[in-house]
Amino acid sequence: MDVDMESQDTRDIASRIVTPGSVITNDTAFMRGHGTFAERTTIYSSVAGAVERINKLVSVRPLKQRYSGEIGDIIVGRITEVASKRWRVDVNSRQDGILLLSSINLPGGIQRRKSESDELQMRTFFAEGDLVFAEVQSYFADGALSLHTRSLQYGKLRNGTFVTVFPQLVPRSRSHFHTLPCGVDIVLGVNGYIWVSKHVPASKVEENSELIYSDKNEFISDDERETIARIANCIHLLNRLYVKITDTSIIFAYEASLTHAVKDLLTREIAIDLAHNVKTRLEQQS
Amino acid sequence: MASLILSPAEQDFIIRGVEKGFRGDGRGSLDRREVTLRTGMISQANGSARCRIGSLGVGTDILVGVKAEVNTWAAGEPEECGTIVCNVECSPSAAQEFEGRGADEINVELTQLLDRIVGGEQSGLDLRKLCIIPRQAYWVLHIDALVLDVKGGVADALVWATRAALLATKLPRVVVESVTDDSGVARAEFDVVDDAEDQMGLEGARDLPLAATFNQIGRRYVVDASEQEEAVTQAKLTVAVSPKMEICAIQKGGMLKGFAPSLLSEITQTALRIAKEEFARFDALFAEASKHNGELDEEPSTGSTFLEPF
Repeated sequence: MDVDMESQDTRDIASRIVTPGSVITNDTAFMRGHGTFAERTTIYSSVAGAVERINKLVSVRPLKQRYSGEIGDIIVGRITEVASKRWRVDVNSRQDGILLLSSINLPGGIQRRKSESDELQMRTFFAEGDLVFAEVQSYFADGALSLHTRSLQYGKLRNGTFVTVFPQLVPRSRSHFHTLPCGVDIVLGVNGYIWVSKHVPASKVEENSELIYSDKNEFISDDERETIARIANCIHLLNRLYVKITDTSIIFAYEASLTHAVKDLLTREIAIDLAHNVKTRLEQQS
Repeated sequence: MASLILSPAEQDFIIRGVEKGFRGDGRGSLDRREVTLRTGMISQANGSARCRIGSLGVGTDILVGVKAEVNTWAAGEPEECGTIVCNVECSPSAAQEFEGRGADEINVELTQLLDRIVGGEQSGLDLRKLCIIPRQAYWVLHIDALVLDVKGGVADALVWATRAALLATKLPRVVVESVTDDSGVARAEFDVVDDAEDQMGLEGARDLPLAATFNQIGRRYVVDASEQEEAVTQAKLTVAVSPKMEICAIQKGGMLKGFAPSLLSEITQTALRIAKEEFARFDALFAEASKHNGELDEEPSTGSTFLEPF
């Protein structure tokens, strides 16, 4: 009998969509988790999203939220300020992330302690507005993210264009750097910042490590430019129609979009049609 | 907007794209984004419109309301015509830098632009028709615009929304009669007819201009710049063209660099060339919007409702 009651509760509470202020439960047996608040004995939702329940803990997963970082996340950020021995980085989160001077690689891959002269030429590494590809290393005491770029694949981004999406649409996965078959590199930042660029072989940067901090773009041909624009528009439409953004969904959208001109991809009918197409293909696959 | 700083690599990518005539979202130099238009959004106003420039539910979003008021004539004011008062405000919800006093400068710039375009005879509106009794009473049209979202091309959206709002504006009819008072002196008196059916549109509203903003990027220029493109714009020029293909107003803005005189005349010629297309597009959208006119769709909401116009 008791077990029966339990499953009844589960059905009632979990997998429900709520809006701010909706009553989740009057049962005092539950504890309030994230996205909820309690008044007297009632638990209400404080966000719009899906109710989740783990044993006695009730929480609401918001449909839309700011990025909250986890250690090991691969993200794209934009430098907002050069401070002493550190850069402040916009990471689409509640507060700016921090990239310490000691957490970057020096050009040429020299391993040494950063000196005062490095501190004076911080802008030659990263200046305001620059986009960085980095990994979350740890948290600071106030919850700010500490980033690092201590790998050859991380560093400054160039040769392409920047797209912003909802962070919850980018799932954490094994790899966030992809070279698509159409000859375009994408960096899917878990924080919802995405970089779409011309494919540059990794060996090229390894040979010439000065390129890590270069601001100069490579030569980009008209065809490459069109493919970059097409991929960027595909990502934009997937985002607007709330489809998961992974290398697979982007490739599906790209393939389906080939019958349309790049500038038409964002018109309402075509976008809905393409997103629907991608959703069906993703379902078939899984 | 001003707060958007791009990296040198992104700037270079955009500038070279523009110089090749292929922009970041696949458009050519003179291609414009999708426009959504609705009229009759504010029931208390005499006319109102909302315009969004941008695709898939994101873009520059502007709400314009026109309110007519009767004013008593005072010495020094024009004797036989009405007036138009413009005011543009950028909402802090549109961009963070508009918070507090941050929007003051752009508010002034846009108000001045709107005033330059529709504030006088050049707008095509017959201001004499706004006079009720010479040297006694006249109509004042208050045009109030609220910028709700900024994603590039605010000036264009502003003029589109204003034109739609003024076209949708209905003024109550005014009856003027001659009254003779006790001392035998005849004077005119008027009465505003309070009847929703008995209203008329503005005289000359069909002659109102539309505007296109040209952004100089690198050695070329583009119309309807996106937010990123505006961040690398060296100079911009807003040109308002009437349906009679006359240039009514020009305003420069965001000058990091001057325009070469040859480029300036090329731009005005282009403005005239594309104006015809613009008016055709406006007319189609306005006719569609007038059909709905403030009514909400009966259809139930679906997952992609936000893609619907507002």
